[in-house]
Amino acid sequence: MNRKVKKILTSPTLAGLAALALFAGVLEIAVATDVIPQLIVARPSDTFMAFPELQKEMHLFGAFWETLGMCAAATGLALLIGIPFGYLMYRDDLIGRAYEGWLAAAFAAPTVLLYPLFLVMFGRSHMTLILMGFIPGAIPIAIQCRQGLLGVSPTLLNVGRSFNVTEREMFWKIQLPAAVPTIFTGIRIGVMYTLVNIVAIEYLIDFGGLGRIVSEMYFRFDSPGTYASILAVVAVSVLFYWCFGRVERWLRPV
Amino acid sequence: MAQTGVIGTVSGLRPRITVNTIRITTIVVLLVLWEVLAAVGRSGLLYKDVVPSSIQIGLAIIHEIFDPAFYHHLGITLAEHVVGFTIGSTIAVTVGIAMGANPFFRKMIEPYLNGIGSTPKIIFLPILFLLFGTGIESKMAKGALSAFFPVVFSTTLGMMLISPVLLRVGQTFSLTRRQMVSKIYMPSMVNPIITGLRLGMAIAVIGILVAEIKFSNGGLGYRIAEYYDQFAIASMYALIIIIFALAAAANVAMTVLQDRLNIKQGGSATRNAGLGAST
Amino acid sequence: MSGTLEISNVSKTYDAGGENPVKALDKVSLTVNQGEFVSIIGPSGCGKSTLFNVIGGLIPDYTGEVTIDGHRIDGTHRDVGVVFQEESTFPWRTTLNNVAFPLEVQGMAREAREAKAREFIKLVGLEGFENHFPAQLSGGMKQRTAVARTLAYEPRIMLMDEPFGALDEQTRLLLGDKLLEIWSTLKQTMLLITHNITEAVQLSDRVVVMSYRPGRIKRVIDIELPRPRSSEVITTAEFGHYVGDIWNELREEASRGMADAEEKLAAR
Repeated sequence: MNRKVKKILTSPTLAGLAALALFAGVLEIAVATDVIPQLIVARPSDTFMAFPELQKEMHLFGAFWETLGMCAAATGLALLIGIPFGYLMYRDDLIGRAYEGWLAAAFAAPTVLLYPLFLVMFGRSHMTLILMGFIPGAIPIAIQCRQGLLGVSPTLLNVGRSFNVTEREMFWKIQLPAAVPTIFTGIRIGVMYTLVNIVAIEYLIDFGGLGRIVSEMYFRFDSPGTYASILAVVAVSVLFYWCFGRVERWLRPV
Repeated sequence: MAQTGVIGTVSGLRPRITVNTIRITTIVVLLVLWEVLAAVGRSGLLYKDVVPSSIQIGLAIIHEIFDPAFYHHLGITLAEHVVGFTIGSTIAVTVGIAMGANPFFRKMIEPYLNGIGSTPKIIFLPILFLLFGTGIESKMAKGALSAFFPVVFSTTLGMMLISPVLLRVGQTFSLTRRQMVSKIYMPSMVNPIITGLRLGMAIAVIGILVAEIKFSNGGLGYRIAEYYDQFAIASMYALIIIIFALAAAANVAMTVLQDRLNIKQGGSATRNAGLGAST
Repeated sequence: MSGTLEISNVSKTYDAGGENPVKALDKVSLTVNQGEFVSIIGPSGCGKSTLFNVIGGLIPDYTGEVTIDGHRIDGTHRDVGVVFQEESTFPWRTTLNNVAFPLEVQGMAREAREAKAREFIKLVGLEGFENHFPAQLSGGMKQRTAVARTLAYEPRIMLMDEPFGALDEQTRLLLGDKLLEIWSTLKQTMLLITHNITEAVQLSDRVVVMSYRPGRIKRVIDIELPRPRSSEVITTAEFGHYVGDIWNELREEASRGMADAEEKLAAR
């Protein structure tokens, strides 16, 4: 047998896929022979077959775009407010010190509990979803924006000064690009929590995209549908982060 | 000379304003805004009864603190959290160490962990409801599931970031496998594991509260949902404020604890608490 | 092109937040003639970095006077180009764009500045790496990028703070050759701050030995080794003689510095 084939056969990726297939097979048999009741765990084959139905009846793809749109709107808002606020916290050290601790504490707090506040004001609406996605998105962006600008290496600032750059050039050509990686960390964390919060609220208030579908499927006691819709959410999340990673790498070549 | 970021803040221009001035002003402004909103609500222009005045909320907080039912529900949530978090983090530390020690195993399951780790965990609630029912067992399971991911990621990372020089130092002193674990691995892992546990703890609380809001018959999340259904808005806000205060207190306590543990190694956990670790 | 640097009676004191003030420089006077290569050597804490910052215009509040061709320095000066000890290339710019940076902020058009940057990249021997990012270069290549960037600014005086301090000894010797080669082409005034005796002797016309706290000039040693010089010079007996001579001056200062640092740690 040649080396390449051997390498593929003993690769961890293949072992992972095999383990997954084995797990699905065991589950299939266990459910088929009623060792595990059908109502609790859907047969993997049934789950797979439920996708077309899900698309036809619940417009899975439409829901996917709806959730994604909410995330995009919330992230846009978070950038629009988070970055200028982070800059303000950097420019004015007092403001920075006054708010950064608060923001970090707010980020660690269960902000998802604020949803009734928006629910009573805006009802079950897109506004509620966007605002709930905005809150945990903007906080890390603002904090990392300040930290990134504060953390610019003093040597790089001295390089700028030794070349007599103006204050404006110092910011646009040195401070900002040096802070970009840190700001991106903030954006990545923010986007992650925005997605989590939006799907969570969709699920809690039965409104919007993917979260609503999962909730409805469960209410109908349609367990293949429930499992299929959950898998769809997993797939969307993975895809979402993959795309985000690509964009990030494209913006930051090294 | 060009002003630069390091010294170029405008704070020097107003030496008498302090951090506390800004904070107190902020609180006052927010309270006033809230009262204006409440007044508009009372006049019936918009948001009728939705924004209770801060006095009402204050009274509701006091009422809540003296209500035995609050402690009953707090107890349920705490019990769910302790059990769920303990189970979830124990499994996570074990899996994390196994992944760190065995690259094949890590590469085998990492893609799946990353995939599920990036998914909002709330979406698995229906499965947990199906498996464990809508009682406290499903909340414990949710707590375990939520706590698992941050802990497993930081444990694996901690294992992988142990300085190879330290491992070689251990080998040159012919440490046994057990000594390697207790003298080299464990002390180097304390920090990343604690960071992960801390984050896991916070996330497990959120996961449990949300699960309680969706479906339950007890716990603080249930109480919030109950107040909402009764349109007891002031009580609902009061309860949310109390939960936030408890979360903030727990966060401060954890920071102090972690800094105590870190002091000898010269690190500090205070900066950026709970932000960087979740990636 | 001229470029005579005159340092007269320069002092600088840091008051470290109420504690005993540290006198970093105490009445330092030195003249560096146009086209000369001078090294300043001393133990850690002898104030050589402070002197670097004063001449580079990064510390404007000093007493005494630093002049270039008769003009007093207060703030960064067009005639002084600075190469820093630390990693100072911009990680988000390619070699070409790093070197073109000073030209860019001067408002030079893209094509002109890129052509000029390529010249200096060639001069430091980095052709073929124009489109690499610093992360893709070795430590020595990054420092050469920084040197080329400063050269592109065409300063009359090159001021370098241990530019090769983080590199291994062999790379450092070879880069020393490169530096002398560039210097013989461009003929600027060179002022090198270093703690490396070999480096100082290998490159300089004069070596200035500084004392540990307060920073004063202890002795100035003329290095009368023949020019053009290559790194082979380190094998000669004369070279060894200069190294020994400088170490005799430095040893006492260095041990005072070390004892002081250890005392401070013990007090903590």
